[in-house]
Amino acid sequence: MIRRLNFFLIVTSIAMLVGVYMLKFSIEGTASERSAMTAHIAEQESELSTLKADWAVLNQPGYVEPIVRRHQAELAVEQVKQEQFGSFADLPMRPAEPDTSAMDALFQAIDAGIDPIDAILELEGIE
Amino acid sequence: MAVTAEDLAPTISLDGVRKARGNLTQARIRWMILALVIGFGAVGGRLVQLGMVETDTTIEGQARDAITATRPPILDRNGLEMAVDIRVPSLFAEPRRIIDVDEAVTKLRTVLPNLDEAWLRNRLSGDRGFVWVQRELTPAIEEQIMRLGIPGIDFITESKRFYPGMNEAAHILGSTNVDNQGISGIERHMDRESIALLQELGLARGNKLTPVELSVDMRVQHVMHDQLLDAMTRYQAIAAAGAIMDIYTGEIIALASLPDFNPNDPASALVKDTFNRVTSGIFEPGSIFKTVTLAGALDAGAVRITDDFDARYGVRFGRYTISDFHGKNRILSLPEVYKYSSNIGTIRIMQAMGKDNFREFLSRMKFDERVEFELPEMRVPSVPKSLSEVGAATASFGHGLSVSPLHMLTAYAAFVNGGNYISPTLYKRSIAEAEPFYERVLQPQTSAYMRYLMRLNAISVGGSGSQMNKLAQGYRVGGKTGTAEKVVDGRYSSSKVTNFFASAFPLDNPRYAMVIMVDEPKAENPQSGTTAGWNAGALTGRVVQRVAPMLGIAPDFGELLDQQIVPPEVRRIFPEGY
Repeated sequence: MIRRLNFFLIVTSIAMLVGVYMLKFSIEGTASERSAMTAHIAEQESELSTLKADWAVLNQPGYVEPIVRRHQAELAVEQVKQEQFGSFADLPMRPAEPDTSAMDALFQAIDAGIDPIDAILELEGIE
Repeated sequence: MAVTAEDLAPTISLDGVRKARGNLTQARIRWMILALVIGFGAVGGRLVQLGMVETDTTIEGQARDAITATRPPILDRNGLEMAVDIRVPSLFAEPRRIIDVDEAVTKLRTVLPNLDEAWLRNRLSGDRGFVWVQRELTPAIEEQIMRLGIPGIDFITESKRFYPGMNEAAHILGSTNVDNQGISGIERHMDRESIALLQELGLARGNKLTPVELSVDMRVQHVMHDQLLDAMTRYQAIAAAGAIMDIYTGEIIALASLPDFNPNDPASALVKDTFNRVTSGIFEPGSIFKTVTLAGALDAGAVRITDDFDARYGVRFGRYTISDFHGKNRILSLPEVYKYSSNIGTIRIMQAMGKDNFREFLSRMKFDERVEFELPEMRVPSVPKSLSEVGAATASFGHGLSVSPLHMLTAYAAFVNGGNYISPTLYKRSIAEAEPFYERVLQPQTSAYMRYLMRLNAISVGGSGSQMNKLAQGYRVGGKTGTAEKVVDGRYSSSKVTNFFASAFPLDNPRYAMVIMVDEPKAENPQSGTTAGWNAGALTGRVVQRVAPMLGIAPDFGELLDQQIVPPEVRRIFPEGY
């Protein structure tokens, strides 16, 4: 009886030992994974900060202007002059649209043989 | 015998063997328990002791956190980065872990040859736990050093301030030291305000800080800086400076001073003459101060805009006679006094006001105190406490007192914005936010007169701002020139001058005020002169020509807008207005 109990206890303790060690190693693995990830994130963050700084440099008017000046001749760009600015208020009013329906009626009338001018000319006694 | 035997009690001794053994076992168990308690007690005590130990994370007197502490990014008014944090590796050593100092020194010097050998050996030997070797290196160097595989040598990532605009906004931004603390400019001001507190509380860690929005427009700032650079070579000046301010909100749109420095290299700020001339330079303002005199006299009702002043003869003070630079030698109306920049006329106007009232007006315009502004680099202006007759006369045309260009800028802003003094700021704010800080210094009517006078000086024939207006055609700029002679060996020199142009635009509905300064300019070509109209004036014109479209001002070539600002009473003397 006692021997069986002892045997059982030994087996259980070995199993527990193995389990605990496995847990320990897996946790160690996770921890190292985590620290690797943290290091990776830090690395990427620093890369990101450098990229952001790069982006900020490339966006500076002081960086863009020399480039524009360098390509001024090829691109045929020039500094804007006051005369080139306009506003909507400066635009002339749109001319009145031609009265298309009246024109159509006129053409139809001419096609039908009635020329409204004839009537006027007759009235004036020119013909 | 039996009794004796009984007395000896052999049975007891028999009994005693078991008992004695039992007692012994019990005693042994007790000792065992005691030993175990002591053993566990020792372990427990050690644990408590270890728990009490505070690990020293400081790096040469500073918390490790403080070194990686970040600063908020600084943005311009359109959201463009003006200052950002970048992460850089810094090389440190743990001397107590270094096995072979000589090997470490030779190996390190293959990558960093600029390190002094003796210094490095001294640095790496000893029993210290942490020493910096070199801070703020590049990732490439970090890689090379890691490859050397020296024990006891490692990197820590630090935050470093980077200014993508380089020199352009140097005086606004200032710079930070190697520990990421602001040492000048707005960086210093930010530290005083909040970041220092945040960092102390441990909140300013990581990248979670809200960006700081400045009032500066980097495009305008670039044009200003670019034009000042151009002026430095064009006029061979020793210095040039300029600032633009929103007259209603007090926001500084651009502020530059040359020679300047690169904030990415703070040591370059230590070079002589790189100080901020707009805020911490004080100069005799010269004729741009006449605007102040006229505004004060008109506002006090001492003179009317249609009054005439006798400028036929110089004004005598004992042995001295003050006369005009380009004397007209006739009776001038007030607008003509301004236009021809008549010293005599201005003295007469000041005298009509009375010297004490004039001095009081200078105080009202805050000419005898520092301008309330964020930049720490400020100088107290030098304006005499009380003015003598001569002192008041020279002060009326801007001599015998020294103020900063920023003083002139805020004064001009108040003159054209309807008469409200507003302190300048570098932080973005709206008109509604600025209004509570308004301080009325002029009546609106006087402000209207000033707009007219400034515009008159630009478009009328013979006005000193005509050079400027030619270049900024259509943007309704107006302003006043000032050519202040420098004192050389105790007397005013006519060859060394400081030139100013103070202006506002667009004057039909003004929004911006500007002050430009060119120090000791030379003539651009033999046909041109050295007075302010030729350099500071022309420079103003070129700046406005470029920045006005950015600030949303449309050019207008009609005369209508200019005619609108002519005060009706002026029409009596100048029917055509200008």
